Amino acid sequence: MTTLEMSFHQALFRYPPPIETELNRLAELFAQTPALADAYPPRWLAIQALEGDETLISDIRTLGGPAVAAALEESLNRLRAIYGDDLDVVLVDQRYRFVHTIATQAVRRPATPPVTLSDRIDRVVTNRWLGIPIFLVVMWVVFKLTTDVAAPFVDWLDSVLSGPVSRWIGALLGLFGANGGWVESLVIDGVAAGVGGVLAFVPVLLTLYFALALLEDSGYMARAAFVMDRLMRALGLHGKSFLPMIVGFGCSVPAIYATRTLDNRRDRILTGLLVPFMSCSARLPVYVLIAMIFFPAHAGQVIFGLYLTGIVVAVGVGALLQRTLFHRQPQAPFVLELPPYRMPTLRNVWQQMWERTSSFIRKAGTIILATSIVVWLLLAIPIGEGEFADTPVDQSAFAAVANAATPVFTPLGFGRWETSGALVTGLIAKEVVVGTLAQVYGGAAGDEGAPGDEAATLVDDLTGIAGGFATAVGDAVRALPGIVGINLVEAEEEPAAEGLATAIRTGFMASSGGHGALAALAFLVFVLLYTPCVAALAANRHEFGTPWMLVSLFGQFAIAWLAAFIVFRGGLMVWG
Amino acid sequence: MLYQVLEVIEQANGSVSLAELSQQLQIEPGALEGMIAFWVRKGRLKEATIAGCGGGSRGCICGAYPNGCIFSAAGPRVITLASPDP
Repeated sequence: MTTLEMSFHQALFRYPPPIETELNRLAELFAQTPALADAYPPRWLAIQALEGDETLISDIRTLGGPAVAAALEESLNRLRAIYGDDLDVVLVDQRYRFVHTIATQAVRRPATPPVTLSDRIDRVVTNRWLGIPIFLVVMWVVFKLTTDVAAPFVDWLDSVLSGPVSRWIGALLGLFGANGGWVESLVIDGVAAGVGGVLAFVPVLLTLYFALALLEDSGYMARAAFVMDRLMRALGLHGKSFLPMIVGFGCSVPAIYATRTLDNRRDRILTGLLVPFMSCSARLPVYVLIAMIFFPAHAGQVIFGLYLTGIVVAVGVGALLQRTLFHRQPQAPFVLELPPYRMPTLRNVWQQMWERTSSFIRKAGTIILATSIVVWLLLAIPIGEGEFADTPVDQSAFAAVANAATPVFTPLGFGRWETSGALVTGLIAKEVVVGTLAQVYGGAAGDEGAPGDEAATLVDDLTGIAGGFATAVGDAVRALPGIVGINLVEAEEEPAAEGLATAIRTGFMASSGGHGALAALAFLVFVLLYTPCVAALAANRHEFGTPWMLVSLFGQFAIAWLAAFIVFRGGLMVWG
Repeated sequence: MLYQVLEVIEQANGSVSLAELSQQLQIEPGALEGMIAFWVRKGRLKEATIAGCGGGSRGCICGAYPNGCIFSAAGPRVITLASPDP
């Protein structure tokens, strides 16, 4: 398809007379200076010198000597007297005028520019009315994928880690004579339960990062950012804030540092306060664990709702702050260009999936491991009766410490030491909430043991692991049509980690007067909105100072508490 | 012409696309790209395409990744007027 026609004629380019005069003078001087003439074309060198190329001006001074340097300075002074400090702009502008004149005369374009496939898609995807609903549908599909498709693999990995792997560790400890004592308790109840409980959610994160990588590599994420930007601008927020907030879906820490891309300190602080409300990927294992226990048939919708709540709270708080503390400022204009759509490449998608998931695994081996050991130690220390590493969990130092925070959460429906303790340790990193719940509730439920563990041999274990994986693959494939509403899989009555799930369900039921699901929902909203982690606080302090870090810490806690209170108490009023 | 580009961006109400800018100024899109690149070099305009962590090192997990922040996201290309406010 011909989109333009071109024809060429000879055209002569000249700078304005005063500049041409100085250019000719300098070019002649440079041509007569062998050191310069051998190294550079004289006229080109003269143009670069007048445009202020510091490297070449330095060369002229060095190679040309004092006389040439003085001549250059005189030429510059004469032109500055006419054009001021914008001499370089005049030179470049003259060239663009010349190009423009030629292009206008030589190029004939069709009256209406050709419409590309990207343009056609964008007319729908970034449409003023359809853009946000399409964005919501895309996000819904992502969370259906992360729950329905990843869930069979989570169950499989959890059964492997809590079954065969724990048995192998126990057997290995037995070889060294360390079984049955506090060392076994530390390794099995502390490290394996805490770190393993978190690692079981690797399939969820792999699926999330796979979906996000597809969206990003195809060019859709840029459209999502564009749609978000329009929404935020409509509410009076700074348009560029959406860039750090998109990063916040991955991790709050780099998102807080990403506020550096904003020009104005007030915009940076405001965005830094809002970023933690965007649900980071570290919170996802908590959502999946609780949603699969209390809402197994609607886990995807619950998680989607949480992400949406995070965006709504961020935009709402931002709009409120903009009108009060930060005073609304006129919107700065800007040019915005969307990249064309393209087919995602396997290499890019895999690289993103792996790098992001590996950071999660790395965290499990460092921060989460250390926290699990500390939690185990506190659980092992008896308060009153009992012995070290052989005390009921509710008689431990951890329970005593966590109990101090329990009254704060009682009005929210989850006022028990187990959940309070998990929320406090969750300040270290959000994944730790899952690890701590596995440790404190697993301690009560773990004595039941994995089914058939007495008789299992290594071959039985390996066969079971392979068989379980094959079943998980089958379940995941059967779950795929569920994304478009065709349900081939019956909702599980009991999740795979039955003992832990029962213990958590019983705990929430007890703390909420029998309204466990409502308390669980309030708990999820609290996890969504309270401080992401100490690393995010440190980043906040580093970027904005201690006072703003404290505003972020207490402000988020207050908003999280209030939102969870509304969910639980409001739910009781409606359904109670 | 170069100053015209700055003036039109300054006077734009919210966001404007390169195609709209090119049509408004009657400037070839290729030439317009060059003009914007000139003003970016001069520090009068700022350009961003990737939302990354902005170079945070202390406490930021991206310090462990030599290729940069793993949570950076490809966003739209945004060109704004450089603000004198630090």
